[in-house]
Amino acid sequence: MTRQEKIRNFSIIAHIDHGKSTLADRILEKTQSIATRDMEDQILDNMDIERERGITIKARAVKLNYKASDGETYEFNLIDTPGHVDFNYEVSRSLSACEGALLVVDATQGIEAQTLANTYLALDENLEIIPVVNKIDLPSANIEGVRKEIEDVIGIPADGCPAVSAKTGLNIEDILEKIVTDIPAHEGDENAPLKCLIFDSYYDSYRGVVIYVRVAEGKLRAGQTIRLMNTGATFETVEVGYMSAFGLVPAKELSAGEVGYITASIKSVADTQVGDTVTNDENPTAEPFPGFHAAQPMVYAGIYPADGAKYPDLRDALEKLRLNDAALTFEPETSIALGFGFRCGFLGLLHMEIIAERLEREFNLDLVTTAPSVIYKLTMRNGEVIYIDNPANYPDPEQIAKAEEPVVKASIIVPTDYVGGIMDLCRDRRGDYKNMTYIDKTRVELHYILPLNEIIYDFFDALKSRSKGYASLDYELDGYSESKLVKLEVLLNGEVVDALSFIVHADKAYSRGRKIVEKLRDNIPRQLFEVPVQAAIGGRVIARETVRAMRKDVLAKCYGGDITRKKKLLEKQKEGKKRMRKLGSVEVPPETFMAVLKLDEE
Amino acid sequence: MQKNQKPLGIYVHVPFCVHKCAYCDFYSVTDMELMREYTSAVVAHIRSKKKFLKNALVETIYFGGGTPSLLPVAQLERILNAIYSTAAVAPNAEITLEANPGTLTSKNLSAYKKMGINRLSIGLQSADDEELSALSRIHTRAEFENSFMLARMEGFDNINVDLIYALPKQTKAKLFSNIDYVISMNPEHISLYGLTIEPETPFGKNKEILSAIPDEDEQYEMYMSACKRLEECGYFQYEISNFAKKDCGCKHNLKYWMNKEYISFGPAAASFVENTEYTYARDIELYLSNLKNEKAIRQPDEETGETEHVLDEEELETRFVMLHFRLRAGINTGEYQQKFGLSFEKIYEDKLEKYMKDKFIVRTEHGFRLTRRGMLISNTILSDILEF
Repeated sequence: MTRQEKIRNFSIIAHIDHGKSTLADRILEKTQSIATRDMEDQILDNMDIERERGITIKARAVKLNYKASDGETYEFNLIDTPGHVDFNYEVSRSLSACEGALLVVDATQGIEAQTLANTYLALDENLEIIPVVNKIDLPSANIEGVRKEIEDVIGIPADGCPAVSAKTGLNIEDILEKIVTDIPAHEGDENAPLKCLIFDSYYDSYRGVVIYVRVAEGKLRAGQTIRLMNTGATFETVEVGYMSAFGLVPAKELSAGEVGYITASIKSVADTQVGDTVTNDENPTAEPFPGFHAAQPMVYAGIYPADGAKYPDLRDALEKLRLNDAALTFEPETSIALGFGFRCGFLGLLHMEIIAERLEREFNLDLVTTAPSVIYKLTMRNGEVIYIDNPANYPDPEQIAKAEEPVVKASIIVPTDYVGGIMDLCRDRRGDYKNMTYIDKTRVELHYILPLNEIIYDFFDALKSRSKGYASLDYELDGYSESKLVKLEVLLNGEVVDALSFIVHADKAYSRGRKIVEKLRDNIPRQLFEVPVQAAIGGRVIARETVRAMRKDVLAKCYGGDITRKKKLLEKQKEGKKRMRKLGSVEVPPETFMAVLKLDEE
Repeated sequence: MQKNQKPLGIYVHVPFCVHKCAYCDFYSVTDMELMREYTSAVVAHIRSKKKFLKNALVETIYFGGGTPSLLPVAQLERILNAIYSTAAVAPNAEITLEANPGTLTSKNLSAYKKMGINRLSIGLQSADDEELSALSRIHTRAEFENSFMLARMEGFDNINVDLIYALPKQTKAKLFSNIDYVISMNPEHISLYGLTIEPETPFGKNKEILSAIPDEDEQYEMYMSACKRLEECGYFQYEISNFAKKDCGCKHNLKYWMNKEYISFGPAAASFVENTEYTYARDIELYLSNLKNEKAIRQPDEETGETEHVLDEEELETRFVMLHFRLRAGINTGEYQQKFGLSFEKIYEDKLEKYMKDKFIVRTEHGFRLTRRGMLISNTILSDILEF
C-alpha cells in the first residue's frame, strides 16, 4: 500500500448534544494518541466558552495513528466541525477537506434538524457517510428505531452500522474499522502543482497565523513561496507539519492526501480565509477549489464600552479577536447615548454572544450591546438602493419606495404533540408556512420562510420552551422579501435615545413598543426626579410608562463600627455610578440595554 | 479638664445574645460559657491601653451589643472598674447600657445605677407582639412595659427606646400605633430605624419576607409622617434615625457623627483615634486568644475582619462630610474651613446647587444640612458629591 492509500480524512457531524465531542475524545483515546489519565474532557474544544456551552465554535483537526485488524497502521485525520448554523460555511469547508464523515445520532433522540442539515452538507461534498448510533448505554436507547429512521429519512444504509456509547467507550473499535474499510483514501497527484484547501486558521502570538490545510495535490514544504489564490497574497512558508493531540509537530513535507498546518509569518487570519486555495507561487495549480466566499455578517449590533474611557481598549480587543476571526467585522460608530463604540457584524446571534463574552472575559471589558439588527434593503423614491444595518441611520419613511428584509428558509423538527404550539409561534413571528413532512409516526419536519429579524433574538429559546426542549432548528438565508417596516424610537425624559431605537414590522410595533417601555420602567433605577419613558413612531407616542422618583436610599444606622462599612458602600455606589450611561439627564446602567435586548423572552 | 486631657468616648462590645434575631447582622454569639473569659479579656485589653487612656478624659461610655444586659452585674462592674482605674472619667460622663426588655429586673437595675450607669437604651423594635415574634425577638410588649417602669422606679431618667419601621407587612397605621405607644411611655429619646435587609441574614434570604416589605414609596410616607409626629410630640430629630427631647441627644453617638475620638473594646468593635480607624476581628475566640498572648492588637487581616487604617487628609474630609450630613445640624462651614483649610461652599459649588435646587440640601445659619427628603436619599447624594 502506498502512503496515500493509508490516509483516512474524516469529520464527525451531529446535532448539538448528540455526543460529537465525546466521541472525538474516545477516538483519540482508543488510538492511544493520548493516555486515558491525561484526558481532559473534550480535547478538541479548546476555548473555555466552547467547553462551557458544550459546542464547537472553531474547527480543529488532529492526526492519529490506528493499527487496524488487517495489521496495517493507518493515518487518521479527524477534522472537527463547528456545530451551529451560524457557522454553516465553515462546516462545509471543513467537510470538503474530508473523504468521509461519521454521522452521529443520539439513540434516544433520533434525527434532529442539524443532523439533516449537516448530512446534506456532507452529501454535497460527496462524502462517504458512516452512520453511528450513540448513547446506547442509556435505558431509553432505541438502536433499531434510529437505524431505521436514518434509512427512511436520510436514505443511507444503516443496517448493522456501529452502535456505540462514546461515554463508556463501548464498541468504538467498530467505528475505527469502518473508517478503514468504508472511507476511501484520498486520490491526488503528488507530482502535480501544489493545491491545498484552507479549512481553518488561527492566530498565535509567537508564530503568526497557523493555517490548517488539506493537501489535495502536490507537495508542501517549508521555505516554499505560497500564494493564496483568492486573496492573491504570497508568503514564504516558515514551517509545515501535523497536528498531534498534544500540539503542532513540524515535518519536512506534507504531500497529497495529508492534513497539516503551515506557518508563514502571517499577521491576520483575514489573509487566510477558510475555503481559499493555497498553491505554489511559481508553479500554480490551474484551478482553485470552487465555492470560496468571504465570510458574510448577517447580524449587526453596536458594542460600546460601559466606561467610555475604555474605548481604545475595546478597539485593541476587537483587533485582536479579528486576528483570529475573519467573520467579525467592525467599524467605529458614535451614539448620542452611548458615546464612542463600534458597529460590529456577526455571522449570527451565537457568534455575537460569543464575541461579547470573549471581550468581557478575555479582555476584562464591561460592555453595552445594542439590540441586534439585520441588514435592511431599502429602495428610495429616487431609485437608489441602500442597505441599512443600524436603526439610527434609517431614513425618513417618506423617501422610501420599497423596504425589504432578509428572510431565512427554516426547517424545524418537532414531535407531533407540539406542532400546534410551534406553528403558533411561527405565525406570531410572521412565518410563511411552506409544508410539513412526517419523519416517522411521532415527528414532523416543518418548513417555513421566516424573517431573519424575528429569529435573531430568542426564537430558538421560544422554540425549546414550547416543545419541552424537543424541537430542533436549522436555517439558511433565502434572500430579501418586501415588508412593512417602521422605526420605533424610545424617549427617556422626552429625549430620543438612539441606542434603543430599532426597526420592526408595522403590525408588531405597538406590542413591541408596549413591552419595551415596561421593560425600561422595571430596569431603569429610580432617579432624583420622575422619568417618563415613551415609545414613538415618527414622533407619535404609542406607549408610555413612568419611572418614579427615588425616595429612599439611606443607611439607617451609622455608629462606630458601621462607619468604615458605610464608606465602602458609598465608594461602591460611586463606582457603580461611573458605569452608568448618561442619557440626557437620566442615568442608566449597562444592564438595562441587555434587558431590553431580551425583550421577547416572555 | 486638666491640661492635655483628650476628650474620649469608650465603646465596649458585649457580643452575647440569647439567640440571633432574624434580621440582625451585628456580631454576637450565643455561648454564655465564654462570658467570664470575655470579661477578663476586655479588662486586660483596657489595661493594655493604659498609656493612651491616662491622658484621656472619658466623657461617654457605651455598652453595646449583642445584649449587654445579659452580662452578669459583677462582670459589668469589673469592666467599668477597669475603666475607672485606668482613665479619668468625667464626673458628668454619660454611661449607657443597651438592654433587652425582659432582661431587666429591679435587682440588676439598681446595681447598674449604683455602678454609675445613667442611661439605658431599650430595644423595643415594635409594640406589636405579632411583629415582635416575626422579628424573632424574645420579648413582648408587656415585658417591655414592665422593664421600662422598673427602670423609672430605679431612678433612670435618661432612657432611649428603639423602634423599627418598614417591617414586613407593616402598614402606616400599625407603625403609628407603635410610635404613639412609645410616646405615651414618655422616654427621653427615641431611635427610629428603617429595617435594613442584610443579605447574609435569615431575613435577607427569605423571599417571602422580602416581598412583604413596604415599597420605597410607602417607606417614604412612613418616615416623613413619623418624623413629623415625633417632632410634634417634642422629640427633636437631631439625626437621620434619632429623636430626643431637649438636651437629651445621645452624647456618645454624637461623638461618632461629629467625628470625635472613640476607643473600643471587644470583638468586632471599632475605634477612631489619632486619625486611625481600627476594627477588631469579628471572632470572639480570636479576641480571647490574642489577649491571652498579650497581643492586644494583631496585624490587620482581611479574613478575620481585622483592619487598621490611617486616614489621609482626603479620607478625613470624606469622613467629616459623610458623618456630619447625618445630623440635623449639618456641616458647619467655619469648622470645615478650620479643619481642612478649604471653603466647603467652593469645593462643592456645583453639587450644592444641584441638590439645593430640589431642596434636598438647604442652607443653615452656619452652613448646610440635608432636608428630611435629602436625608432619606443621603447615600445617593453622598456617593455623588464625595470623591473617594
